[in-house]
Amino acid sequence: MPHQCVKCNIIYPDGSVNLLKGCNECGGKFFFFIKENQLKEAEEIVKNLTPEEKIQIEKDVFELIGIEGDESPVVLDLESIRVLEPGKYQLDVVELFKGKPLVYRLEDGKYIIDLASTFRSKKKD
Amino acid sequence: MMIIRIGDFIKRVLNNIFKQKKNIKLGLYGPVNSGKTSLANKICVDWIGEEMGIVSSIPHETREIKIKEKVEIKSKKGKSISFNLVDTPGIATRIDYEDFLKHRMSVKEAKKRAKEATKGVIEAIKWLDNMDCVLVVLDSTKNPYSQVNLTILGNLQARNIPVLVIGNKVDLKKSNLKAIEDAFPQYEVIGVSALNGNNIEEFYESLFRVIK
Repeated sequence: MPHQCVKCNIIYPDGSVNLLKGCNECGGKFFFFIKENQLKEAEEIVKNLTPEEKIQIEKDVFELIGIEGDESPVVLDLESIRVLEPGKYQLDVVELFKGKPLVYRLEDGKYIIDLASTFRSKKKD
Repeated sequence: MMIIRIGDFIKRVLNNIFKQKKNIKLGLYGPVNSGKTSLANKICVDWIGEEMGIVSSIPHETREIKIKEKVEIKSKKGKSISFNLVDTPGIATRIDYEDFLKHRMSVKEAKKRAKEATKGVIEAIKWLDNMDCVLVVLDSTKNPYSQVNLTILGNLQARNIPVLVIGNKVDLKKSNLKAIEDAFPQYEVIGVSALNGNNIEEFYESLFRVIK
């Protein structure tokens, strides 16, 4: 599935090396993970955001998932959570209940890492 | 000698029962503003004499998981159960900071609340697997056929977690408990007013049927 650089709107195909290195254009490491049939919609969302809003969204998403001071690229799964603009969220509860990770972090040699553990609460006593 | 052995055996059995029940997690789930925290407060005030959380008419007042440990309730017949009560943020499919602006909130505050509420929804969902039993709290003045309600109940069923459906706010004119009963006939539905205490005794008795 394609990935879209949130900062400059460029779409990269699945498995592109840019996901690890950062966006060709802006060096950004924050991507939306999108389905082919959602491409147009995702493009529209990002196109209408100001640069400040994009930075804020990146900050908000990192805070939501508890990532701090990490340079690894991050991919937000638009199927489960959409950030339309700062402060406006659409949640697909059906997808969320499936327990799929909301966010993928990419690292060299480990293409996609499940960040679900970030959210995992204390285990049963 | 025999009597001592029997005594030890009974003690062990009782200890095991007590141990098992000590850690029961009773979760409160439901859509936003259905009265989960009001019900949690009612339970806590009635049985341990203190409230659990802040209640407000502004949506998404509860944005973090809250736990009250070792709440013990007693039935009319003198039975008792102890559980850890887990209040969760309301589940929503859309969170928009603009909805908070009408509650005299600044844009900055509203956006912060929206972000926290989103995080709260994600956390509530992640916590579901930790629950031993769930009270699904619905607002009986609202249409029960919502995606949030159906998804919560569907997931509880899939996980085999015992459920009691609470139709809250039965003291209000618009309340329609029958709509909830018709929507979810496979569940026991109890109508209460967490705020005014209507039917709360029956609710406590029903807890004994659902927490095993």
